[in-house]
Amino acid sequence: MAQETSSKFDTIESLTKEADALKLRLEEERQKLNDVTIATVADRLDVINFLTIKVKRHLKGHQAKVLCSDWSPDKRHIVSSSQDGKMIIWDAFTTNKEHAVTMPTTWVMACAYAPSGNLVACGGLDNKVTVYSLNTDDDVSTKKKTVGTHTSFMSCCTFPNSDQQILTGSGDSTCALWDVESGQLLQSFHGHSKDVMSLDLAPSETGNTFVSGSCDKMVLMWDMRTGNCVQAFEGHESDVNSVKFHPSGDAVATGSDDSTCRLFDLRADKEVAVYTKQSIMFAANAVDFSVSGRLLFAGYNDFTVNVWDSLKCVRVSLLYGHENRVSCLQVSPDGTAFSTGSWDYSLKIWA
Amino acid sequence: MEDARLTSEAARDGAGAEPHGIRVGAPRRLHSHSTTMDSSHRPLAFNKMEALVQEMQDIENGVPVRSQKLFLTSIPSAFMGYDLIEWLMEHLDIEESVEAVHLANQLCQYGYFFPVSDSKNLVVKDDSSLYRFQIPYYWPWQHRSPDNMEYAIYLAKRTLRNKQRHALEDYELEALNSLKKNLASKWEAITMHAEEQVRLAKDRKKGDKIVADSQERAYWRVHRPPPGYTSLLEPVPVCRGRGGTSSKKRRGSTELHREVQFLRSCLSRTRVKTSVALESLVQHCELYLEFDPLLSGAQPCNPWHLQPSEEPQFWLYNSSLVDVPTEKRVRRWALSMEDLVSDETGLHEFTVYLKKEYNHENIKFWAAVKDLRRSAQSQIPKKVKQIYEEFLEAGAPCEINIDGKTMEKTLEEMKNPSRFTFDSAAEHVYTLLLKKDCYPRFIRSDHYKAVLSNAIQPSTKKRFFGFGGPVKKKASSSAATAASAGLQTAAAASGQSQSGFGAMSTSKRRGSDRSLTGSATELGTGPTKVSHSHSQSNLTEVPYSEHGESDDARPESDNVCPWDTAGAGAGAGTSRASIPATLWEAGAGPLRKHSTQLDPDSGSSSSDVSLLAGGDLGDKFRSCEQRLRRLSTTAAPARPAARPSASSSSASAEDIIGACKTSQPEPEPFLQAAQEHSHEPRRSVTSLSPGCSGRRPLACKPPSISVSSAQDVEETSGETEKEKEKEKEKEKEKAVEKETKEGKEKVGEKDKETQGKERLTEEPHSKCENKDKALKKSDSDVCPWEDEESCKVDAPFVKTYATLGYL
Repeated sequence: MAQETSSKFDTIESLTKEADALKLRLEEERQKLNDVTIATVADRLDVINFLTIKVKRHLKGHQAKVLCSDWSPDKRHIVSSSQDGKMIIWDAFTTNKEHAVTMPTTWVMACAYAPSGNLVACGGLDNKVTVYSLNTDDDVSTKKKTVGTHTSFMSCCTFPNSDQQILTGSGDSTCALWDVESGQLLQSFHGHSKDVMSLDLAPSETGNTFVSGSCDKMVLMWDMRTGNCVQAFEGHESDVNSVKFHPSGDAVATGSDDSTCRLFDLRADKEVAVYTKQSIMFAANAVDFSVSGRLLFAGYNDFTVNVWDSLKCVRVSLLYGHENRVSCLQVSPDGTAFSTGSWDYSLKIWA
Repeated sequence: MEDARLTSEAARDGAGAEPHGIRVGAPRRLHSHSTTMDSSHRPLAFNKMEALVQEMQDIENGVPVRSQKLFLTSIPSAFMGYDLIEWLMEHLDIEESVEAVHLANQLCQYGYFFPVSDSKNLVVKDDSSLYRFQIPYYWPWQHRSPDNMEYAIYLAKRTLRNKQRHALEDYELEALNSLKKNLASKWEAITMHAEEQVRLAKDRKKGDKIVADSQERAYWRVHRPPPGYTSLLEPVPVCRGRGGTSSKKRRGSTELHREVQFLRSCLSRTRVKTSVALESLVQHCELYLEFDPLLSGAQPCNPWHLQPSEEPQFWLYNSSLVDVPTEKRVRRWALSMEDLVSDETGLHEFTVYLKKEYNHENIKFWAAVKDLRRSAQSQIPKKVKQIYEEFLEAGAPCEINIDGKTMEKTLEEMKNPSRFTFDSAAEHVYTLLLKKDCYPRFIRSDHYKAVLSNAIQPSTKKRFFGFGGPVKKKASSSAATAASAGLQTAAAASGQSQSGFGAMSTSKRRGSDRSLTGSATELGTGPTKVSHSHSQSNLTEVPYSEHGESDDARPESDNVCPWDTAGAGAGAGTSRASIPATLWEAGAGPLRKHSTQLDPDSGSSSSDVSLLAGGDLGDKFRSCEQRLRRLSTTAAPARPAARPSASSSSASAEDIIGACKTSQPEPEPFLQAAQEHSHEPRRSVTSLSPGCSGRRPLACKPPSISVSSAQDVEETSGETEKEKEKEKEKEKEKAVEKETKEGKEKVGEKDKETQGKERLTEEPHSKCENKDKALKKSDSDVCPWEDEESCKVDAPFVKTYATLGYL
């Protein structure tokens, strides 16, 4: 008995040692190829100093903190979810509310439009992902279907280029891919050791990968087909709240509780940029790129949106407008605007 | 980690006593470290803020704190607003004071300092107003969120003191009263604590007392804000990271094994030099800069810069499927294959080009595989089979050319059909054939150049056409979708006209598009609606999210490979309809839509009926026919031909019977339902047989049902030999005759019903034509259904006009 435990202890010890040694070697390997900084490469680019981004629409109607929002593929509708369990479909262009659904839970932390624009998925503290059909003029809440259930809150969800599947991230530290029609779990993704906060699909239509960010400070790249983690990025000092693929698909931007945003390159296999400033001390909750990837928009807990030049690593603009923390931010599908949702119960469209 | 944090907190607690040395008035810890915040996750922002505030309080380099004179009174330990702002700007390299003011306000709302003279609003101004630091003991997240006991003691304490200076606010009084009720059992202890604290406070110096009182008050202002004021310290019910700490402890050898393995795989990963990676990121940004609306603007203007009442032209120009794309959009297709195929219009042009080169099977295959990968689980086996029969089987109608190795692998995968069965084959097709061969040729081709030169520059004044109708009509749900649907209508219309025109260059077809678009939207109905509603019904089902629509929009014109029409036919729609129906717990919506399609009256493939609900249909139809007639034979021949004519001569049918014996029938562009659903020409015949050969009274049988039953037949008779087929063909031709006669008799009945029948008659009839043509073409090398020549107008068409008039 004693021997058994000691041998087990040995293996754990030796494995831990091996893991540490491997980590060191990995870091060495990465450093060998680290020949230049992003700022020097981007030196030849012109400075961005003409940016005039202002609030163009103000969507008021939620009675509680807005926690998540998503653009419709038609480029003008938005779905948003809030702390009081309401989900609202907006025509953001006219600022009209087109549907309102009350979920049987509070803290609806995630919502997403399907690629067809006919379904929305949402969920939160109920640990479930529920799909609603927007197809009729009737009350949307009558046509719903629970697709998947996690063992902890659902923090993020997205349709992977298909109305037939949903990818979710959860506080149970896993991600999962569900079949919408049958509710079948197609694939689960184990690897994070803490709550998954955010995920994003690779922009390539043929791509089978997605990225997730978690409270374990890690950013993991997943193969949707096998369920295996294929790449891992470390660097953040605290929870990773948001992950977003660079439009080229070759890099991933992250926003974290450590008040920085970072850029990890897939081919260089390492962190290539940190977007930070001494005066920024609050968590970055949501990040997204402009169409070209040059601008990185980030919403922070201090009510602001910082616009970063992703290549020169300098801030090009600081946007005020919300009266509480910015909880979500997303660039519209055609890149003409971005939306922000806030704990001040409202959403704004900036362009 | 947890422990480290606790110790650091303890250290901070200790340090907390230093700045002013006042801690006496602080409430005792009644329940030490018992409640929530300790165990949960402490945001890193608090460390940063605390570090900053500590720096601020540095005696030499911090914000100057002193006794400030205000009128005749002296205010101890206070600093001025502009000193604070200046300090922040200097220490944090802040360029604009707005940002410093904003940061100062944040710190104030978190309770690190507070305005001396305003106990209600936690606002920092860049002026001479006075502020005071909070003692670290009262900093947020120092120990835990305060409990009601402490609040009760604090409030009770204030009631015991000077009424003038310590009187409770209304909301505080209310709170006190409710606390008295809730904590009635402990109230004695609470009063005792309060009295004790008041007694201790009396011993202190006046200045200290003022400072301590204000700090305590500010603390409660932060944690128990007056109604209407929000607090930044609201607890989030989601305890982040809790699961993590526990799982970390029970990390066993299996997890470690996995980690080691993963790390090993990471080591063997090939990496590029940072410079290479960064260079490509920079290049990407440079390349796409002009396509970034937030950096380079949008043409004609960014829709969000418009008032909600204005028409956002940008979205009209850039809807997913357009006749004439913008010049910018076409140029973007040249950037990469991904840019081309992710744009629906781009994918369409690419397909059109490949079709001209008789090379389109690859893109079809690739699209089919992409669709398969994102299909519902229940559809997988069926779709795998379909794709195999369509593209891979020896002699398949759209056989693709892949190497033996890939084929072997695919066949192996076929044993366990999954979403990924054809991935290796699709990869092969995509990278080797499409990306490296077809795509570059497309970009260099005259076709692309023609599209580019015809593209519009939206900055020029509106010379846009035919758009207004559909957009304005459907203002409610989604104007953009409506717009694109409108475009699809136009596209479909052009498709129909194309089939009439026979072989024409694409650029010329665009011209015809325009002329027909105008009439189609004007009429608001008519033949064009058919495909319109197809695309709509498909939107509701969304079986093919990416390419499906484009295919569906042009089933008529693109009917090169029967496969892509499978999604368009209502027959396919019905077979699929069952799925969305079960999808919803109360699936009335989609179900209802399909049920209209199934309605015998409306006729399966004529989903135009379902769209034009009700009685106005007949009128519209008639006016449209007349219109089409006026459009003269050049513009409209194909469509009216397909349209019905119950009277359309039995003679011609007879002619064709003979023809059929020798020829293979071909599915014709304007054929719908059954043919579209059918797999290959051969089967299209069989699929019609249950209705025809059985000599059932077709007029009262909903065609869509006949289609789905046809499917079964199709499967069973898949193996039937040619002879048998010919027999059936014969039978069918007879059925056609009978039908047409039947139809003729009933023409006089309700419009709707007639139309339903027209549908039916139309199918076999047009089939006959095909056969007719097929006969002519039988010696040609060209795949018969690819040949646009075969769509030429034939004699029978003329007669249809007579029928139309009759209607």
